[in-house]
Amino acid sequence: MTRELTGSEAAALAEALVPGSVDRTTETACYLKPDRLVETLRALRDDPEANLVHLTNLCGVDYWDHFEVVYHIQSFEKNHLACFKVEAWDREKPEVPSVTPVFHGAWMQECEAYDLFGIQFAGHPNLYRILLWEGYPGWPLRKDFLAMPGGLQPGLGEFAGVARRQEPPVKVIE
Amino acid sequence: MSGVIKSEPFVINIGPQHPSTHGVFRIKATVDGEKVIDAEMVMGYLHRSMEKLAEERTYTQNIPFTDRTDYLSSMSNNLGYCLAVEKLAGIEVPPRGNAIRVIMAELQRLASHCMAVGAFANDTGAWQTPVMWAFREREKILDIFEVTSGARLTCNYMRIGGVAFDLRPEFEPMVRRVLRDFPPFIDEMEGLLSGNEIFIARTKGVGVLTPEMATNASLSGPMLRGSGIAWDIRKADPYCGYEQYDFDIPIGYNGDSYDRFIVRLEEMRQSVRIIQQALDGLPGGPFRTEVPLALRPPKGEAYARIESPRGELGYYLVSDEGPSPYRFHIRPPSFINLSALKEMTVGGTVADAIVVLGSIDIVVGEIDR
Repeated sequence: MTRELTGSEAAALAEALVPGSVDRTTETACYLKPDRLVETLRALRDDPEANLVHLTNLCGVDYWDHFEVVYHIQSFEKNHLACFKVEAWDREKPEVPSVTPVFHGAWMQECEAYDLFGIQFAGHPNLYRILLWEGYPGWPLRKDFLAMPGGLQPGLGEFAGVARRQEPPVKVIE
Repeated sequence: MSGVIKSEPFVINIGPQHPSTHGVFRIKATVDGEKVIDAEMVMGYLHRSMEKLAEERTYTQNIPFTDRTDYLSSMSNNLGYCLAVEKLAGIEVPPRGNAIRVIMAELQRLASHCMAVGAFANDTGAWQTPVMWAFREREKILDIFEVTSGARLTCNYMRIGGVAFDLRPEFEPMVRRVLRDFPPFIDEMEGLLSGNEIFIARTKGVGVLTPEMATNASLSGPMLRGSGIAWDIRKADPYCGYEQYDFDIPIGYNGDSYDRFIVRLEEMRQSVRIIQQALDGLPGGPFRTEVPLALRPPKGEAYARIESPRGELGYYLVSDEGPSPYRFHIRPPSFINLSALKEMTVGGTVADAIVVLGSIDIVVGEIDR
């Protein structure tokens, strides 16, 4: 059975390797300081005690006032799963460091978080909109992106640079 | 005339409309002669924004969405999502519900691997015969799904707290017949392909992944096991009572396309074993816990994962005590298994790129969501 590390257990592992890297902990997750993130994850990956080698899941979450990027990292030998998070508080240009230099598997997931949340990953080799097209207006998974009912209307007319489609006049047959 | 032929790099598009991309997916391959020197993926043609849609709907209403991500293994997708909600809300599933879930998930693995193996043989040039054989067997499993859930492809059978309906009386004889027919079919398939000289020449040593690379690129499922890492969520982090069943994890040694194919074939044999045990010991009692339709899980977050036919399928849910999830994230195995596509294809020929893509076994509905 995989042991899911609590926030404080994960923090203890991180603190032992890179002192001063932990911001705070919750019951399930350990918040890392963004500027120490890459260094900490690399140390945790290479350390035989932590052995966090497999970046299982990476995703962004929008909490209205800030963004979080969640990293679930798995150890095969120790069979434990740790959850780390970093926060980005700048709503206009949220930015966190990219972990692609440490985990190659992060590059597509970071592209996805950039595509759907607009989170910039500093140091990413090739950050582009992986699912949507370049020039798509807005970041769809943000909470303030209008949802379909009442907000964005279906059809291409809503997108910048595309003329609104003219509806043909309805003929009334008497 | 000198003996050197001057060649210039040339870009070819494989896909989006191409049978070997298994959907609408494009590889922009830069080639020098026949050799691939760069490969870029273009995806998103099938993006339906499921994660956004799910934030508007209740937990129960989201189950049909998960069918439509990986449409070749809808039972597994339902199961992963329901497990995540159950973890978030602390719901227990009765033993009969768990056993039915295991049977369905393993039948789905058989059906999905039939498709994977048949289509992979198609990609290597064994045109149509293996895929027709595989579809013949897959059809019998889809019939079982139809009898049980009313649908063949998008079953929508799992529910939060159990499954939607109890098994019908026809179910057990039908599954027994599949269990009887499947091992000979797997032997037949193996006899047809695994010793075939052309098949070996096309797949051995193609798309080699070292264990370090496979781990670092976050791969999972047969991709990871083909590279020699014995990692299976069913063993490492058992769910639905998988710890009660006796089965083995097949692994490959060379990490090439051939090993991934062999791993899939062997996994089918193990699935037959699991279904046999689950069916023999199918407990009675209720098949579902009663759960309110407008479920409001307590505030928090949960990450639950299962071993889907393609790899580790995870669901990350965040609840704010509302009737719909605050954040609904799918960890799609097909999408993340593509992380190492460039490393596997560069240096090979264009024909090898097709084989590599076939050996990853992608489902584009899951990549784009």
